[in-house]
Amino acid sequence: MDLILEYFDFLLFLVLLALGYFVGRMNEQRHYLSIRRRERQLANVLAFAARFPPDPHTPRECVLVTGSVVVSSDYFKQFVTGLRTLIGGRMRAYESLLDRARREAMLRMKADASRHGCRLIFNVKVESTNVGGGMRGGTAAMEVLAYGTALKSLPDRSEAPRAA
Amino acid sequence: MRLENRLPDETVNYSIEHPLKEFAWLLAGVTAVVAAVAASVGYFAGEIAARVPFRVEKDYAAGITRHWEEQKRTSEAEEARRALRALAAKLAAAMDLPAGMDVTVHYSDEAVVNAMATLGGNVVFFRGLIARLESEDALAMVLAHEIAHAKLRHPAASLGRGVAVGVTLSLVSSSMGRGLAGDPVQVAGVLPLLKYGRDQERAADEEALRALAAVYGHVAGARELFALFAKIGRDEALQIGLLHTHPFTSERLARVDELARERGWALEGRVRELPPALARLKRAAPAE
Repeated sequence: MDLILEYFDFLLFLVLLALGYFVGRMNEQRHYLSIRRRERQLANVLAFAARFPPDPHTPRECVLVTGSVVVSSDYFKQFVTGLRTLIGGRMRAYESLLDRARREAMLRMKADASRHGCRLIFNVKVESTNVGGGMRGGTAAMEVLAYGTALKSLPDRSEAPRAA
Repeated sequence: MRLENRLPDETVNYSIEHPLKEFAWLLAGVTAVVAAVAASVGYFAGEIAARVPFRVEKDYAAGITRHWEEQKRTSEAEEARRALRALAAKLAAAMDLPAGMDVTVHYSDEAVVNAMATLGGNVVFFRGLIARLESEDALAMVLAHEIAHAKLRHPAASLGRGVAVGVTLSLVSSSMGRGLAGDPVQVAGVLPLLKYGRDQERAADEEALRALAAVYGHVAGARELFALFAKIGRDEALQIGLLHTHPFTSERLARVDELARERGWALEGRVRELPPALARLKRAAPAE
């Protein structure tokens, strides 16, 4: 008991690290499975960064569609990246976090477009903001927002994507 | 124009390398570098601090001396203090302290089983420890050990080291931005301090044994003392040796035997009873 009290700080750190690693990794793997599944489901909604639709002169109804996600880092990732800031280099732990966030935001935007009956989004932009506290102690969390202009009906052209 | 969205390429934007691999490399590398930096900063700071003239240290520690001197004392505590000082004078005479250095022994009426040497040559004995001791020889071993710390300038070296390493570590951990990784980095930095601490204890033990042999003609008091420590700290096997300042008692006992063999000191001999003023403390608080 005394031993636990004496090294309480260190034990707490180990517990948090293990929790962050196992739970964080499990969540990440589950999230990727879900992302890949939905990416296939929503493959019929197309998104492009081009400023204008393929046929800008045909009058069509446009809708602003958005998808946003707020994603938090776990204790393990924060610890690893904390060490990484000392020597620099590729922050692998955050790369997968932000990759998931971007893809999730895109999916939510596509789902939004799909709800409006749209299958083409153009002028897509992705923005991200840090929402996780200050420099010290605050958990790293990011908001990723994807938005674009969705077209209500598709141009009647052969190169347009086929309806699902 | 042909419009097409492909499924994302899973090999571009993030790494599929196992996260524990990066973790292990980073942790090992950073820990090694921080420990090495802390060890060298600590070493030089300690060496410099130990070379500050004792007079300066004593002036700096005037507050500590006053704190212990001005404590309210019962007549019993006053007698205990006098007895401790008489014994300390006898031991100090055999320890050839550097010119200008003097050691001041204080007595504290607290149940703590401890004695300590602090800045300015101040040595504090707590009733709890004296109540546990069986003989003057064992007491002399503790006393000589604490005087040896003062003689070797250990309190000054530890302070200098602690401050220097503390400043270095806070610079490192603050440069990591989010403070999370700070904890293990602190541990990595503090480990060398503990090592220096144990080196100091070994050096003080050796000085104390020399004094004991010179004054009593044998070092039986040291063996008695460490045997007592072993009895008190029965659970020490559970403790992690790495994180403790004092070497293990079994190690200290073995060192007594080894040094005695090397230097030709007798391991056995007649041990004296505690001075009456101190033996009274023992009877007053037998259960502690």
